[in-house]
Amino acid sequence: MPSPNRFVAVALVAASALAVHAAGTVRVVTKDPAGSPVPDAVAYVQALDSAVEVHPPAEPVAITQHDQEFDPYVTPVVVGTRVVFPNRDNVQHHVYSVSPAKKFEIPLYIGESTATIVFDHPGPVTLGCNIHDWMVAYVFVLSTPYFAKTGADGTADIAGLPPGRYRLEVWHPRLAGKVGREITILESGDTTQVVSVTLRPDRRIRRAPDAGSADYK
Amino acid sequence: MDFFRPMRSTGRALIPLLALLVPIGALADGPYLSATASATWQDNVTNAPSGDGTRGAFDLDSQVEASWIRSLDFSTLLTASLSACAEVCTSYSGLDNLAVGPQFTLRHKVGVGPLAPNLYVGVAGLGVGFNDPERSKIEGDVVFGFSQRVSDSLQVLVDGKVGSYDARDIVFCGNYASLVGTVNWDMDETWRLKVIGGWRVGDSVANYTAEQSAFGWVPVDADAFNLPGAWHYVRTFNEPFVAWRVSDRTWSYGAAISPALGRHTSLTLQFEHFTSVGLDRYDNNVVSLSVAHHF
Repeated sequence: MPSPNRFVAVALVAASALAVHAAGTVRVVTKDPAGSPVPDAVAYVQALDSAVEVHPPAEPVAITQHDQEFDPYVTPVVVGTRVVFPNRDNVQHHVYSVSPAKKFEIPLYIGESTATIVFDHPGPVTLGCNIHDWMVAYVFVLSTPYFAKTGADGTADIAGLPPGRYRLEVWHPRLAGKVGREITILESGDTTQVVSVTLRPDRRIRRAPDAGSADYK
Repeated sequence: MDFFRPMRSTGRALIPLLALLVPIGALADGPYLSATASATWQDNVTNAPSGDGTRGAFDLDSQVEASWIRSLDFSTLLTASLSACAEVCTSYSGLDNLAVGPQFTLRHKVGVGPLAPNLYVGVAGLGVGFNDPERSKIEGDVVFGFSQRVSDSLQVLVDGKVGSYDARDIVFCGNYASLVGTVNWDMDETWRLKVIGGWRVGDSVANYTAEQSAFGWVPVDADAFNLPGAWHYVRTFNEPFVAWRVSDRTWSYGAAISPALGRHTSLTLQFEHFTSVGLDRYDNNVVSLSVAHHF
């Protein structure tokens, strides 16, 4: 019997610098072992030849709560980004994180929260609601401006890369470890990178109710 | 069970409980609606001792519940709910019943996060009207419990209850205390396996086959006269029975498999075995198929 907590799957991440896009754009394609696209993966590159400054956006990023779920599920941001958590449900939420990269909690509220959380350290941050245990989302805080999140088609384009050497990495909430390798962006020309990654099973807390129980969660 | 003297005033306690629903409902989030429908087979619905008198029955029930929730602080919730249940017994119409009752629960989470333990305490009231009117009753309960997620996939729950119920006939009155322990294992997002163990002490009703005598209907089993509680003839089971109020201890165990049919709906197939021991022993096997939905 497979372990209930984890099983090993292999996904292939194909990264290619394509001249058909603007020079310096990396297209990352994620697939699971069955060949299906993997959404909500964060692909990012770190420049190896020079330091690159990051500038957080002027406006805060919003992670909403709707139908007692967070939306979006994964939010990549750069260090220093402010995030707000509007509650569009008709029930209160208690948003928290105990992740090392950012610990915080927003007391019970409904509607627009007055709290703005600044994510000032790089790393993954797991969000939860202390009332509804099944609610989970992730903020991935980056120290590079070059990143993108895969969409439903499993692809992400990282644009605006000057020529040079970079380290490409991919992060996903179910990744067992970091995945990455060095790539080179040329003035022109194509390059393809294939990286094997290990995924954990999707272990979210079950939301469906128990028969005879009409409890809050 | 001297420490649980029958509360003939239980019904009066229901009135302020129902009245409390109004201000709490006005101040709280909600209502949140849920519904459950079940089909249940019980192989000893007469709760008769082994041998003569055991009769099985199949019943269908549906329940709706409206809940209002008020946050008292970061980790404490006050929940007020009103539930209504209709039950139809396909074999014995006297057991058909309608039940309505409020419940108020204070729930406190000790800490932050899904692995923090939950504690709750509350009061509940229930009015039940049976087709066999002697069984109609009003019940008052104190409920309490604890739940703890050990991991994302394992959860342990303990639910306790101390209750008293007054029926129209003394045979169907009683008091009880119970504890039920449950372990939920969510094998994945769809499938849940549940293991249940329970204990109950207090009054219950056992039924013995009866025969006509010079003194009226009496139990066929003359040893039944050793039972200390009240008893009388009942017509509930379409044949002669006498119902006896007995005091016993019940141990139960069971298991359930529950697939989620979506975020808001689940199906549950559950088996439980109950063994009650007083002066006699009563065994019950209960199999149920339920569907629950949160709107």
